[in-house]
Amino acid sequence: MELIIAIIVTVVGASTPILIAALGELVVEKSGVLNLGVEGMMLVGAIISFIVLFTTGNHYLAILCAAGAGVMTSLIFGFLTLSLSANQTATGLALTIFGTGFSALAGQGYSARPVTLLGPLFPAELATHPIWRVLFGYSALVYFSFALVFAVWFFLKKTRAGLILRAVGENDLSAHSIGYSVIGVRYAAVAFGGAMAGIAGACFPLLLTPQWAERMTAGRGWIAVALVVFASWKPFRLLAGAYLFGLVMTMELYAKASGGPLSVIPAELWAAMPYLATVVVLVLISVRRDASSNAPACLGRPFLPAN
Amino acid sequence: MMQFRLEKRREPSRIMLYATPVAAVLLTMIFGAIIFSLIGFDGLGAVREIFFTPLTNPYKWQDLGVKAAPLIIIGVGLSIAYRANVWNIGAEGQYIMGGLAATWVALATYNMTGWWILPAMAIAGVLGGAAYAAIPALFRTRLGVNEILTSLMLTYASVQLIYYLVRAPWKDPMGMGFPQTRRFAADALLPNIIPQTIVHAGVPIAIIVALIAWFIMTRSVFGYQMRVVGAAPHAARYGGFSENKTIWLALLVSGALAGLAGMLEVAGPFQRMVPGFPTNYGFTAIIVAFLGRLNPLGVIFAGIVMAITFVGGEVAQTTIGLSNAATGVFQAMMLFFLLAGDILIRYRLKRVSPQGEVHP
Repeated sequence: MELIIAIIVTVVGASTPILIAALGELVVEKSGVLNLGVEGMMLVGAIISFIVLFTTGNHYLAILCAAGAGVMTSLIFGFLTLSLSANQTATGLALTIFGTGFSALAGQGYSARPVTLLGPLFPAELATHPIWRVLFGYSALVYFSFALVFAVWFFLKKTRAGLILRAVGENDLSAHSIGYSVIGVRYAAVAFGGAMAGIAGACFPLLLTPQWAERMTAGRGWIAVALVVFASWKPFRLLAGAYLFGLVMTMELYAKASGGPLSVIPAELWAAMPYLATVVVLVLISVRRDASSNAPACLGRPFLPAN
Repeated sequence: MMQFRLEKRREPSRIMLYATPVAAVLLTMIFGAIIFSLIGFDGLGAVREIFFTPLTNPYKWQDLGVKAAPLIIIGVGLSIAYRANVWNIGAEGQYIMGGLAATWVALATYNMTGWWILPAMAIAGVLGGAAYAAIPALFRTRLGVNEILTSLMLTYASVQLIYYLVRAPWKDPMGMGFPQTRRFAADALLPNIIPQTIVHAGVPIAIIVALIAWFIMTRSVFGYQMRVVGAAPHAARYGGFSENKTIWLALLVSGALAGLAGMLEVAGPFQRMVPGFPTNYGFTAIIVAFLGRLNPLGVIFAGIVMAITFVGGEVAQTTIGLSNAATGVFQAMMLFFLLAGDILIRYRLKRVSPQGEVHP
């Protein structure tokens, strides 16, 4: 029982940053923009949140600053691809290279310095019994990720602004001709994606390991990008996908504890599992042909109206 | 008030095509100096150490050659793939698999001698890299799976494969517990081509690879196919070029070259397989390919520029205590400026007065 509770809590922790980053990228892609810089923006968010937490001790300020840093970073991408119509794939890769270098530079001298993890949101009395711990034992970031799933779904499906955003992603020229600012909407979406990637990055030092290490996001940003395809651009499927990946990432714990035949698998194979699982998942969903037809029609294409 | 407007050119500007990489490097120096000063470093000093010291100090020239070689070889392969609009970003993983395949040959022939060992390692490296790139190629052509994500995910997996091999089956029994293979036997090591230096045979090989690739890309049907499929997929289909065949070729060639670079590194500078073998060359080569304008001859120059920043980054680390992570920031800025400047290939800046009348 204790073990099952422990596994659930670990899975939730491992899934949260992927879920938040993927929800941000989902909104970006729905507007017709493909930002492959998620990994880089997450690393910027991770180091900024770490530095703010280390100097001020305030977790919520750290999350806020990570979001702000994510927005700033995403606007570099936005300016290049939206204002200068640079190639989105190449610019996204450049953003990841930049974020990796910037975070390593800014984090110089911060490695091996401990901070404290963000504590549970609810008072400890609520989570004394194991069952209640599964419901009330998490930090605010986890509840934020749940709320975000619903908020993104509600925004895209039920609001006028969401409708406009989807219109821009499906047919930019029509949206432009009826008077919507395609570039403006896409800038807003890219900035939102940046904020979410920044917060997702903050999950690493605040929620998972209370320290800074270079490249500590370890490809989770890329897994988030893959998950958006996996979820065929639907928020609730994204929730399921992120938890599936969280489970894959923490399976080693379960295998080691159970002592069964799985425990002979070497640690390196366990560490490679999330990446191999991503490949497998991408292959499986592409067998189901309808998945890709769900992609926003203008995804990755620059907006070039005839003057 | 003066205003500017972008006006579409009738055809892409060739001058801008070659001017933007130069401008990107210059702008990186200027903005790098400003930004690094603003965040409290010696900005001018950083630019001097990173961009000029490697060139002015003759002792650093051999380092430049050794660092540029893998970047050029991988960059040439990527430039061919990107020309065909195939986004192989897993070159780092293919480089690793090439290095592992070459290591396997070196360990299997440990007690043998012969001139054939190095060529066998090179063939293994090429096949290893190509085989690893074949996985995204298969998924892309059969099932339409995006090669960006698969090739990158396989890179993360290959890093774990190194860790596993050097900790268990390939571990050096005399290595005092270090996770690494034994040092390769003499016949499995790349010869130095200039005595008293570290310049190994991989340096001329890189230049030869780039020249051959340039010849093939400009003078052969293969090169024409790559360029047409990338630039105009619909026209290519009418012209009878198979898109799937192009994707296969693009991934196999870029994977094979990344694998060759891996073999040259493991038999050259490293001399054994170690956990630190993933050196980021595969990712930096993405910048090299773009900075070289996806042209194998341009890649030679871009590889040298990037090698300068690597060597300069090490200089700056020892002389002014700047983390070598600064190199990555400079390299990424270069790519940002290059991509931003590309708009000038398709558009020209026009001065506009507030009335909207255009001055030539």
